[in-house]
Amino acid sequence: MIKISYATAIFVFCIGLYTILSKRNLFKTVIGLTIMESGALMLIVTAGYVHGGVPPLIPMEGQAVNPLPHAFTLTAIVIGASDVALALALVIKVHRRYKTVDLDKIRGLKE
Amino acid sequence: MGLLLLCLGIGWWLWKGVAAMEDPEFIIGPAAYYIINTAEETGAANIVAAILFDYRGIDTLGEASVIYTTVCGVAMLFSKSKYKRSSAGLSFIARRGVSFLVPFLLLYGSTIILMGHMTPGGGFQGGAVFATVTILLCIVFGSSFEMSRIKPKTKETIESLGGLFFVFLGGVGLLAGAGFLANTAAGFPRGQVGNFLSAGAIPLLNIAVGMKVGAGLSTIFYSMVRVLELEFGEQMSEVEGNDKN
Repeated sequence: MIKISYATAIFVFCIGLYTILSKRNLFKTVIGLTIMESGALMLIVTAGYVHGGVPPLIPMEGQAVNPLPHAFTLTAIVIGASDVALALALVIKVHRRYKTVDLDKIRGLKE
Repeated sequence: MGLLLLCLGIGWWLWKGVAAMEDPEFIIGPAAYYIINTAEETGAANIVAAILFDYRGIDTLGEASVIYTTVCGVAMLFSKSKYKRSSAGLSFIARRGVSFLVPFLLLYGSTIILMGHMTPGGGFQGGAVFATVTILLCIVFGSSFEMSRIKPKTKETIESLGGLFFVFLGGVGLLAGAGFLANTAAGFPRGQVGNFLSAGAIPLLNIAVGMKVGAGLSTIFYSMVRVLELEFGEQMSEVEGNDKN
């Protein structure tokens, strides 16, 4: 069962990677970045799973799952939200300067 | 096509890596220590909260400063834009519905923050709920309404106070001679595990982080939406000018 979770994480990560590589629109690049980030977070949380584990809340009945990846994921979510906000702010700035968010057109304008 | 093949190849490569892994049956390393000793040392029922705010508190302080840096960056990028006009907001039904919902959302957010040491939740999640309330107000009633109710200066003050409160609580540990961000070692009462008043400084740190995250995310959204409305307004006036010509 745990393999399905890993496969989902990798699938989501690859969708995000393909979005970043293939799209020329800067907004779509930022969307790809968030999708990749979700894949990475899924991978971290899955890595903390223990067979038959229960949530790490006291009182526990049985073996708890690893709480450390959960704490790391919380950190990563907040930092991801912050860098997406900064990236979007920069994209808005680019749009004000060039009146477009298309990478090819921006390059064409510069030459 | 080549890009698709490249992504599939990377995915296959990663899959070969995780397919070799076994299902772990037990936990080793620092996580095992945290699970065994959290109730003894911190008194928090939520082990993740104990790790975030006690064992790795300095990590969380750095994380909070990342949000602060983002708010500074966004505010700096949009500093020159002057506020001109607000969006009109949504229909009457949406306004009534949201004004009915807002008290419950506030209650939900404060529950998540205040019970963060016992149940899943905490300052980051509850702060995000508070930011959602202001974003809803911004969208449904228009940004000038939101600005008149919750002034941007107030948000900045709340955010700075949250950060200062966090550092102050860390400094208490320093004064007690137990190290920065020390919890029970610095004399904070541990309480009974599972009680509302327990876990020493963790609920206070939750409140500080909640103030910081809620005000910070709300400020980020507000400055972005203000700029977008400004641009939209400029385009509209251009269109109107063209119509006249």
